[in-house]
Amino acid sequence: MSKISKSWRRTPRTALAACAVASLVAGLTACGGGGDGDDEQAKLGKDDTLTITTFSEFGYGDLIEEWNADPERPFKVKQTVVAEWDTWKQSLTTGLQSGEGLTDIVAIEGDMMPALVAEGASEQFVDLTDKELDSRWMESKYLEGQTADGKQIGYPTDAGPEAFCYRADLFEKAGLPSDRESVKALFKDWDTYFATGEKFVAKVPETKWYDSSGSIAQAMLNQVEFPFQTKDQKIDVDNPELRAVYDSVAKYAPTLSTQVEQWKEDWQAGFTNNGFATMPCPGWMFANIKDSAPDVKGWDIVDAFPGGGGNWGGSYLAVPTQSQHQEEAKEFANYLTNAESQVAASKVAGNFPANLEAQSVLAEENATDPYFNNAPTSQILANRAEAVPAGVPFKGDKYSDILGLFQQAIRRVDEGTDPEKSWATFTEGVEGMS
Amino acid sequence: MSRRPGFLVYGLLTAFLLGSAFPLYWSFVIGSVTRQRAIQSPPPLVPGGHFFENAARVFDRIDFWSALLNSVIISGISAASVVLFSTLAGYSFAKLRFRGANAGMVFVVATLAVPTQLALVPMLKQFSNLGLTGTHAAVILPWVVTAFGVFFMRQYLVDAIPDELIDAARVDGASMIRTFWTVAIPAARPAMAILGLFTFMQVWTDFMWPLIVLQGSDVQTLQTALDALKVAPGQGQSDMALVQAGTILATVPLLLLFIATGRHLVSGIMQGAVKG
Amino acid sequence: MPTTTSAPVENATTATSTGASPRRQTWRDRLSRWDLKLSPYLYVAPFFLVFILIGLYPMLYTGYLSFFSWPAYGADRGPWVGWENYAHVLGDSVFRKAFWNTIGMFLLSSVPQIIVATILAALLDTQLKGRTWWRMSILLPFVVAPAASALIFGAIFADKTGLLNQTLAGIGLPTVPWHADRFASWSAIATMVNWRWTGYNALIVLAAMQAIPRDLYEAAEIDGASKVKQFFHVTLPSIRPTMIFVIVTSTIGGLQIFTEPRLFDTNLRHQGGSDFQYQTLTMYVFNTAQTSTNPYPRAAAAAWILFLIIVGIALVNFLVTRAVQRRSLR
Repeated sequence: MSKISKSWRRTPRTALAACAVASLVAGLTACGGGGDGDDEQAKLGKDDTLTITTFSEFGYGDLIEEWNADPERPFKVKQTVVAEWDTWKQSLTTGLQSGEGLTDIVAIEGDMMPALVAEGASEQFVDLTDKELDSRWMESKYLEGQTADGKQIGYPTDAGPEAFCYRADLFEKAGLPSDRESVKALFKDWDTYFATGEKFVAKVPETKWYDSSGSIAQAMLNQVEFPFQTKDQKIDVDNPELRAVYDSVAKYAPTLSTQVEQWKEDWQAGFTNNGFATMPCPGWMFANIKDSAPDVKGWDIVDAFPGGGGNWGGSYLAVPTQSQHQEEAKEFANYLTNAESQVAASKVAGNFPANLEAQSVLAEENATDPYFNNAPTSQILANRAEAVPAGVPFKGDKYSDILGLFQQAIRRVDEGTDPEKSWATFTEGVEGMS
Repeated sequence: MSRRPGFLVYGLLTAFLLGSAFPLYWSFVIGSVTRQRAIQSPPPLVPGGHFFENAARVFDRIDFWSALLNSVIISGISAASVVLFSTLAGYSFAKLRFRGANAGMVFVVATLAVPTQLALVPMLKQFSNLGLTGTHAAVILPWVVTAFGVFFMRQYLVDAIPDELIDAARVDGASMIRTFWTVAIPAARPAMAILGLFTFMQVWTDFMWPLIVLQGSDVQTLQTALDALKVAPGQGQSDMALVQAGTILATVPLLLLFIATGRHLVSGIMQGAVKG
Repeated sequence: MPTTTSAPVENATTATSTGASPRRQTWRDRLSRWDLKLSPYLYVAPFFLVFILIGLYPMLYTGYLSFFSWPAYGADRGPWVGWENYAHVLGDSVFRKAFWNTIGMFLLSSVPQIIVATILAALLDTQLKGRTWWRMSILLPFVVAPAASALIFGAIFADKTGLLNQTLAGIGLPTVPWHADRFASWSAIATMVNWRWTGYNALIVLAAMQAIPRDLYEAAEIDGASKVKQFFHVTLPSIRPTMIFVIVTSTIGGLQIFTEPRLFDTNLRHQGGSDFQYQTLTMYVFNTAQTSTNPYPRAAAAAWILFLIIVGIALVNFLVTRAVQRRSLR
């Protein structure tokens, strides 16, 4: 970028204006973003810089510093960190739509992946396929970064295998078992989970059973094989599995749910005012609970998840075709996601690596967390990761849109709309999408 | 003049002031307590004594001074340029007769109505074609002259300059630009001060466009640099004390500018006596 | 923009034609004629040049693409689809809902905003002690980033733990579902908008008030006109062009309301409520650009429809304002 900036200062004004007019014309004829084939590849020398953008905390700061300090490395790396995914998503979307301006490596939140592996979008990314890496990551995460015809768009960084966090002190108050081993049975399947909830709220009426209808809906949804679309991308929301998820969540909303929306102020308040007793808990949620309720004693983590397992969150590294240093970018993405890097990054960022070898290294260290009553966090997460089914749920190209409408439908029920009516609005909305 | 305000006026204004200033005050409160205190409930309402510690951490985490310099350059040039060109154009539309003036003015106002939500994509293409991504110019150029500024100056000047003054200057043999300089500028001073202030503030707080067009470059503005403070270490919650200390540090230059412009606004009015 | 009823005098022509000999035109005269003729164009040229360089391309680009298909994040646009994208937007019930939401929030924000701003400006246009401080202080909301003020308003309007609802519950009144009820959500958002923009508009109006010759007030005073009467008969008529400016810009701004309603929905998708209670037209444009079917072209079509809506409303608004002001002058 800095090279370009220098040359512009030397460009005479007239040339600039001419260029503007030319680009007006050229821009219109080549409307529709990049991929015009003008992205010449340039080899990076030792003092040249490869650029990467991540969001939130990936824990790569020290790794990149070490890389840059090592004279043996073939190029330098500069990382830009954007604090929030929402912001970075806008920036990334703009970069993809205009075909310009993206860094050599971009970090992508897992929820966006189904849209990017779809036809059309996948052409904007370099194929990162590397046979040697086929078994480096959890299969479920690896497959989500892949197009239907096997082109690897992204290397997985972290994963969000879900356990359940619970308030042992409130469990005791309700006369339920409270130690990690004996509560496992309560989280055996969804029916047991809801039934236990009803017992709980009968004893402790001022506290709800779970944090929000949305998080439970999401957790159950993640165990449905084809929630919204069939294998051939046909929209089908009238399937009994999806309806079963909706009915359960709607049924228990008034009694077991806080009926507040995740991440909002009211939800946040629930951590400290005994608002709820359980919540689905991917690894990255641990730090969030600790920061939200530093003084609350009684949070614990159970090594179980109703109905098997599930994943919530996790990101990818990808190389857009507009990069002029695709080879180097691929090499560096490979480096960042290897076991050693991922163990180091995980210790900084507090997330759970999707890299299998890194997982076992962490599990062997057998870290425990005093805040969660000395729960063996790394071991629990490794176990939960094994329980995540590969390829479930199937996320079609419209997954994100329909999921948004589905969550809105749940939200309406929370706000008092009749479940049947809300469901009708949902199916109507899906039909109008096409 | 017997226009002395009474108790009621001061009361109303005080109420308004409290409402206006509270978020900024609260931002300072959070920026002056410890990280732990910042997220405890009930939230703190009086300042703590840790502002300088937090500020030191801000300087430690981001390249504050270079970002500040960039922001001053970008906002300063933008504001100066908007004021100059908008006053010229506004004066021309308000006071000079020329063919197409009305159509031109309607056009200017119509461009205000264009929604900007989708403009980022073509703008990024355009600036990339011009080779401007990653430069100061990329952030300044969209602010060289704005429809808002032209419309504002036009409406202000239409009544603020009596036509007789312009005629008199012309009779004296003054050139057009000289007339503009000696007649229009003095009358336009208060409006220029306000327009300059608004533009400076808007460019100063602009976030999305600089973020996109400066991506991966060494040129960063205060807002894009401050964003990094929000990153929560270890996936927990953001260090609000740090974030708010950064916000306050970035606001201080604006407040200084406020004070400077405020005087100008008032004195401009006193000199507004040009208008007989 | 034909905003004033009093046409400016033919000021410049009179200046040159007098005194110059009609037969022998000197070089100076010719220069002066060119100066007179070209200067007006020269002065407005920068705006149009910058517009051509920066503003025009996005308009042509969105206009052009609104007639094509283009898969989400695709590298290349697809085939020509005619008016299909426009038809989709106009047939979308969410768009129609967003239209009424926008109108509602616009009325709740722009109207009180202009009235309060004008009163505030009148209060500040007095011999206040420390008037610079008062004047500048009303602009304080504008230095606070919208995201930061959203945090505070979030704490005020939270449905269960919010300051307002806690207070209502405390004194035994029913609480207000700020995010679920359509009108309540509009009111909350309008409050945020007004908080941010009232002082800004007041300062603009104040600048115009300051340019009113003080002898007009003195004359009114001698006639025994009360302060209120002075306001309606001296102040308001004198600041007409600036009032038109404020009304037109806050109409346009009000119809493009985006940041506040978007931040009011902390949901990751920012749809504007579970049933689109407070999704606005600009949010519709933005959100459409993030969907999976022809996102950008559909959003571009929506943006152009929105543009026409705004121009239409601004025009009506302008005509009504002018008519009302004319009548009040009689």
